Amino acid sequence: MRWPFRTPPTPGDDDIRREIADHLELEAEDVARYGAGTGAEAAASAHRRFGNTTFIAEDVRAVWRPTWLEQFAQDLRHGVRSLRRSPAYTLTATITLALGIGASTAVFSLGDHVLARPFPQLPEDELVWVVQRSPHECPSCDNASPAALTALRERATTLSAVGAAQLWRASLNGHGDAPSDLVNGYRVTPNLFSLVAAPFALGRGFPRDAGTPGRDGVAIVSYDYWHTRFDGSRGLLDSTVMLDGAPRRVVGVLAKGIAFPEAVDVYTPLVLTAANTNDHASRYLDIFGRLAAGATVADAQREAARISLQMASESPKSDAGWVLVPRPLNAFHNDDTATLVRIFAVAVALVLVAACVSTANLSLARTSARRREMALRAALGGRRGRLARHLLTEALLVAFAGSALGVGFAAWGIHAASRIMPPSMTTYAPGLAFVRVDGRALAFTLALCIAVTLLFALAPAVRATRVPLSAVLAGGGRGAAGDMHGTQVRAVLVIVEVSVAIILLSAAALLTRSARNMVNGDPGVRLDHVLTMQLSLPRGTADSGAREFVSQLDGRLRNTPGVLAAGVASTTPLSNNWWGTIFSVPGRPPQPNGNPLTANDQRISADYFRAMGIRIVNGRGIDAGDRADTNAQRVAVINHYMASHVWPNADPLGRTITIDSVPWTIVGVAADVHHGGLDEPLRNEIYRAAAQAPSTAMDLEVWTAGDPRAMREPIRLAVANVDPRAAVGQVMTMREMEARHISPFWLIADVVNTFAIIVVLIAVVGLYGVIAYGVSQRRRELAVRMALGASRRDIVSHVAGGAVRLTSIGVVIGVGGAVAFARLLAAVLYGVPAGDPATLVLVAGLLITASVAAALIPCWRAARVHPAHSLTE
Amino acid sequence: MPAPRNQIELLQGTLDMLILKTLLFGPAHGHGIAKHIQQTTREVLVVEHGSLYPALHRLERNGWIASRWQTPPGRAREFKFYRLTAAGRRQLRTQESRWDALVRAIGRVMQPAPEV
Repeated sequence: MRWPFRTPPTPGDDDIRREIADHLELEAEDVARYGAGTGAEAAASAHRRFGNTTFIAEDVRAVWRPTWLEQFAQDLRHGVRSLRRSPAYTLTATITLALGIGASTAVFSLGDHVLARPFPQLPEDELVWVVQRSPHECPSCDNASPAALTALRERATTLSAVGAAQLWRASLNGHGDAPSDLVNGYRVTPNLFSLVAAPFALGRGFPRDAGTPGRDGVAIVSYDYWHTRFDGSRGLLDSTVMLDGAPRRVVGVLAKGIAFPEAVDVYTPLVLTAANTNDHASRYLDIFGRLAAGATVADAQREAARISLQMASESPKSDAGWVLVPRPLNAFHNDDTATLVRIFAVAVALVLVAACVSTANLSLARTSARRREMALRAALGGRRGRLARHLLTEALLVAFAGSALGVGFAAWGIHAASRIMPPSMTTYAPGLAFVRVDGRALAFTLALCIAVTLLFALAPAVRATRVPLSAVLAGGGRGAAGDMHGTQVRAVLVIVEVSVAIILLSAAALLTRSARNMVNGDPGVRLDHVLTMQLSLPRGTADSGAREFVSQLDGRLRNTPGVLAAGVASTTPLSNNWWGTIFSVPGRPPQPNGNPLTANDQRISADYFRAMGIRIVNGRGIDAGDRADTNAQRVAVINHYMASHVWPNADPLGRTITIDSVPWTIVGVAADVHHGGLDEPLRNEIYRAAAQAPSTAMDLEVWTAGDPRAMREPIRLAVANVDPRAAVGQVMTMREMEARHISPFWLIADVVNTFAIIVVLIAVVGLYGVIAYGVSQRRRELAVRMALGASRRDIVSHVAGGAVRLTSIGVVIGVGGAVAFARLLAAVLYGVPAGDPATLVLVAGLLITASVAAALIPCWRAARVHPAHSLTE
Repeated sequence: MPAPRNQIELLQGTLDMLILKTLLFGPAHGHGIAKHIQQTTREVLVVEHGSLYPALHRLERNGWIASRWQTPPGRAREFKFYRLTAAGRRQLRTQESRWDALVRAIGRVMQPAPEV
């Protein structure tokens, strides 16, 4: 390699001395020639004229002394050479650093973007989400009343603008032949998009007056829907679409990635009449506000509390006890993800600790192993500063290689994570699409890892150069007194590594078992060969029309080849949707807490139970005879949970419940269905005949003979044949529905698993390093033992015993930490106790086995060496 | 040995230029260079031997001159000879023009031209 600042070869001392001697000789000759003296006299004269030869020789030498930059280059070359001589250390240290930096940066970046900054394109810091809660009646409620919106708009000075949104579902009627689409949308106050400063791909936000009745015939389309439904055609702007049968002019298309407040397809204006704006009792709005210049969230909270008190005194009946609470915008999604954030934060911190500790350990082992070399170099005139600088350069090389690789790992990790992330996650975490390697996180982890590397490379180096040469050299391979300290430090580091590994490993095991339980768990419905979709009839469809639609669809699907059974229900299990209804039991006093009885309201067709594989455990199901005729009995089937809770000691069959003042007779009890997923508690469920309780919105479930995905088009066609205006949305199989529900849990398990594997590797490598080094230091001692009759087995068990001791201490500490971490995990665990002893024992056993295996390699090597060889070395 | 009155101390940096100039006529060893400067200036400039060798090595390190042990005619053993490199030639030209400028400038101060 050619260095740009290469200099000619430095002349040797001999060379300089000879040159000066020659000069003196020539000068003496001249002196003699001009008769100023002869022999010794001439030589003395020449010498006098020349000056102090030693000083001058030193001046000459000084000319050649390398400059700082050259020394650095020299150190660099030297460092690369010496690192290449010990590839095991270089690779391990580099990869450990890279894994630590990469994993923690990637997860921090993901967490920050997904959870803390879900709306990266909006001025998140200036936006608040205002929830309306009542500590007594509804401590975790979010939605606010229109009257609260009005009050905030009129009175709040800390908010420069206030807007609101309401989720709704509509059908977008076809352009020409295109079938109707069931779309998710938000009704928003016309100012909402300017309030959040949302960018548009086409057009602009709603006109100011779009919120008044008669002026609301406008719509805004999301970027994704623009592309999936309208092929990204620019002609969509100012064209008219039919939403729920009413024409609306498209005034704008939101910019790519704007998913505010959630990813939906269309936005329409929220119309608030004078009567609406004074509605205190119904709370259905998500209120958003923009902080006035200079105002903080805390200011807004104080003011909102005052406004809440005013509202409570003005209309005590509806608003007493209710408080408006402005929260940072990221809270809108974070309530679902706060636990995730904490779990990931702990996992990241543990990985960072493990990486730093391991790097420190490796550096220590390496410097200790080079004590002889350092002592020798110090003895040969290497100054301490120079030696330290040399070690530092070497450590820097490793640190930079690890950092570069770590940045690569981070970028790759983020890429991989956003690819394995289920698409449904973007609904909860719109920031996911914008995840980049976070500069602050990277800077922090880089700085931390490099600092640790340098510190642990340097500290022992300084000490090593201070130890008297004789002690080190005479110590042979045995190691001097100062080394005992290094060994102890390394033992502590190994213990830390092992305990961190135990914590992460047991967390990973718990999460994996939990995710597996969910997959294997029985939600109570058929998951295979079921296709599900949302259906919506045009708004204004009469009850008779809805009834007719269900019965015709039923008949048509019965005759569709490949369909085993098909039925409709209000909401599909595992879909995250509910229809709540309030019911009462005649003759029964209200509940002690005053709350009404609630249930999930399922309006089903006769074949629903068969299509979904839900057993009837008592009485009968809903059948075709349950009609709307005035003389037919209104019947209901309830779930087992409701039966045993509402009538704990009696048979519910034949009893009556009242919904909206209409009595319904219970004719059957169905097996329980985990409607909200296995991790959700069971709730009351009431099944009624769709014919007796008709609705224009429903979910269709089809049990198919073959691959349900292949039945998509035939079933869509059947729906369109019954009523071409029926909108179809969210077509997916029950397995996909299940995956969407479970995948976040797999995601946590996967991340923590990856971390655990990394940390276990790091710990095992660290343990190997310490044991191997210890063995190499004790070769003489072991040789003496063998010479005195110890067998190889004795030697191996003697050395391996040390490894087991270190690991055991780590395991004990780690188990404590694991139990603490498991308490945090409990929130996302399903079917596994957080402090599961089986898991802990398994994990501890695994780690002890791994560490003994790691220790056995150097032990075996030590035992194979012939004692004579070690002793005479 | 005190310097005789008619001798002049070398200006800082001029020694380098004088060495390069001397080597323009061919390779020489340190003693030869010193002697040449002294003789050419009729003993007005006396090269301080203590500064000659560090200067030579500095020039070599900068790549302006190169050294080689070789046997001069009439001698039985090797002496360290210095020769000018291409870079040294360029350096000499720069230093010469700078020196000219300096001399002219000083001259203008010391002997102002009569006003026309």
